[in-house]
Amino acid sequence: MEQVTDTPVVSGGPRERTGHRSPPSTPAAGPAPRPVQRRRRTPWKAWLLFLLFAGPNVALLVIFTYKPLLQSLYYSTLQWNIGSAVAMPVGFQNYADWFTDPTTPRIIAVTLVFTLATVGGGMVIGLLLALVLNRRLRGTGAARTVVVAPYVLSGVAVGLLWLFVFDPNFGVTAALLRLVGLASPDWYNDPQWALAMVIVVYLWKNVGYVALIYLAALQSVPRDLVEAASIDGATSLRSFRSIVLPLLGPTTFFLAITTLLTSLQSFDIIQAMTKGGPLGGTTTMMYQIYQEGFQSGRAGYSSAVATILFAVLLLVTFAQLKYVDRKVHY
Amino acid sequence: MSPRPQIDLDRRQLLQFTALFGGAAALAACSGPSVSSDVSGGAATEAATDWASVTPAKEITWWSNHPGASRPVEEELIRRFTAESGINVNLVTAGANYDEVAQKFQAATGTGNGPDVVVASDVWWFRYMINGQTLPMDQIAEHLGFDTADYNETLYSDYRFKDAHWAVPYARSTPLFYYNKDAWAAAGLPDRSPETWDEFMEWAPKLAAGGITPLGLGKGTSWAAWWFCNFLWGRGGAYSDEWTMTLDTPEALDAAKFVQSMIFEDRVAAIAATDNAVDFGAGLTGCTIASTGSLTGILKAAKFEVGTGFLPAGPEGPACPTGGTGVAISADRTPEQQLAAGMFLRFLTSTDSTAYFSSNTGYMPVRTSARDSSIMAEVYAKSPQFRTAVDQLETTRVQDWGRVFVPGGDKELTTALESIILQQGDPATAFATASTAIQRSFEQNVEPYL
Repeated sequence: MEQVTDTPVVSGGPRERTGHRSPPSTPAAGPAPRPVQRRRRTPWKAWLLFLLFAGPNVALLVIFTYKPLLQSLYYSTLQWNIGSAVAMPVGFQNYADWFTDPTTPRIIAVTLVFTLATVGGGMVIGLLLALVLNRRLRGTGAARTVVVAPYVLSGVAVGLLWLFVFDPNFGVTAALLRLVGLASPDWYNDPQWALAMVIVVYLWKNVGYVALIYLAALQSVPRDLVEAASIDGATSLRSFRSIVLPLLGPTTFFLAITTLLTSLQSFDIIQAMTKGGPLGGTTTMMYQIYQEGFQSGRAGYSSAVATILFAVLLLVTFAQLKYVDRKVHY
Repeated sequence: MSPRPQIDLDRRQLLQFTALFGGAAALAACSGPSVSSDVSGGAATEAATDWASVTPAKEITWWSNHPGASRPVEEELIRRFTAESGINVNLVTAGANYDEVAQKFQAATGTGNGPDVVVASDVWWFRYMINGQTLPMDQIAEHLGFDTADYNETLYSDYRFKDAHWAVPYARSTPLFYYNKDAWAAAGLPDRSPETWDEFMEWAPKLAAGGITPLGLGKGTSWAAWWFCNFLWGRGGAYSDEWTMTLDTPEALDAAKFVQSMIFEDRVAAIAATDNAVDFGAGLTGCTIASTGSLTGILKAAKFEVGTGFLPAGPEGPACPTGGTGVAISADRTPEQQLAAGMFLRFLTSTDSTAYFSSNTGYMPVRTSARDSSIMAEVYAKSPQFRTAVDQLETTRVQDWGRVFVPGGDKELTTALESIILQQGDPATAFATASTAIQRSFEQNVEPYL
């Protein structure tokens, strides 16, 4: 049986997309013979339209995303001093060097702590803020603006501003702690405190985004469900846990992916505040890519770290899509 | 649940995808550096350019970080040069410090968008050289009649490698010992810097009794490993002997332990949270080690009288590194642009320009004639602190290759020193880690290119 259509179909499942329908089969007849397909030709006007609309975007993606990505992959197999016109092929040596470097475990640990704290902390604080902002109280509008405002500020500006806040001699934190008879932590000279400091600043800057998205999701939660639960005697906490939170599932899933990707790629606040120090205490994988590539000039090694980070991001995103997506109720 | 998308590629689609991916990969491989198992001789050579037949370009670009907040000074010097030569110079702020300028310069090489003249600091000029990014200066300097013999010999020799000079000195500095004269007087100390660190250790308790931290030191790259040269060399140690790391010597370990004991045992020194020069200017510390380039800023900020002196000597005598930046000509430009750039460098480092720059910034005059000029004599008379760096120049020496010539050398040494001075880490372990990393970087990033 042959069925050919000239009408382009642009939506639907894979079968619908081809525009043909399989014949019904019976066990007695055995498997049906595979129908002979003739590829339908896309009219040139459709191609032109596609090129007109999608072409510029595709070109930009190829030039600024995929080409650099592939170039980075290629450079990771080279021993190349950035700025030099010549480089040496070294195969996977850069990868072997990274995995055996004594600083690598520390960099992985810093990256993990920073990511978990900023993603986890951001989601929890963002949700709590959204719950507060979702209430009909006076001044909520102004509070929403205040919460979201830091998100639109430049990371460098935020970092420089907080440098003054955390200054152990002249900063606001030091002054506040002095009021209660405490000394300021050594934010800039102690690796653990320095990491805590950049996490706090990162959260301050980005939590408004999470709150904003959660707020939009909260406002789309059907009120009748919550009211029905209330009539049935459910407490506010129970309603939140059993109704609101599951309904926020898709939003939580979306935020988990986007904030994770943003956190793993964060650079500006670290550069403005600690430059990866002290003692590498705030050097994440992302920051190491910059350090190795532009401070040490080891472009090949830096590209290898970038490729590893890319692989990690890809794996984590796939894992989220595969395992977490199934638990989300749409 | 929405239907899950299926990936259902037929043979033709698979081939198209493969071709697309392969094409993109080939495209990626086409750009970037040329690849060879032999990368030696990467430095630019003095091709026999007949400079006499070259007409200088009418416009050039200079990438600078305006060391010592010198942008107005640089603009004035450019104005004078243009008036004299008719050549325009575009002054570009290419970064806040030497590292940022270097990062941009390295990234811009080969793009055609780089500068004609670039600042080349003590930790970057060598890397520019082995990457073939800068022009050897000797031929063009000879053609243009640079009076190279008048440059301070130590400062000019800093840029010498393979029988050529790869930059000329410009904003050159040394670390200086700054002290708070009010605190000194309150402690009953003589109005001078301590001659040795042992003497400082005798004075420190008197300063501490006044309620201030006697000595403030700084951390961070391009800084900690610079001032530590004073302690290291003063006790007979060194970071390296040419390309061989020597941080495992008793002298090197002794220097690290001495600094560590000042901080953690005697508690007469502290590491600044952000900027030790700012802390000193604010009166938090009694004295500090800071660059000569910080002199003008400290004098403006301090509400007390500031004294300057030589860095205290160690058991093996006085020891002081040079630092700061030179200026170099990009190899990636036309002979016309390079000649114009050479003319600009001749002007920028002339006697009058040097004296003007030094008197306005506090950087050392890089020419003997400028050092002895009437302009500088007036400056010394007005602010004797400016004279200290010039006099201290006699005790300076060229820095160890392991720190300034090996990519990542300064960063690895900074990490080791921060472990020692911030966390009381074991000097032997910290130095061993740094030495291994620097040695590997040398083998991978320098040796093949020489």
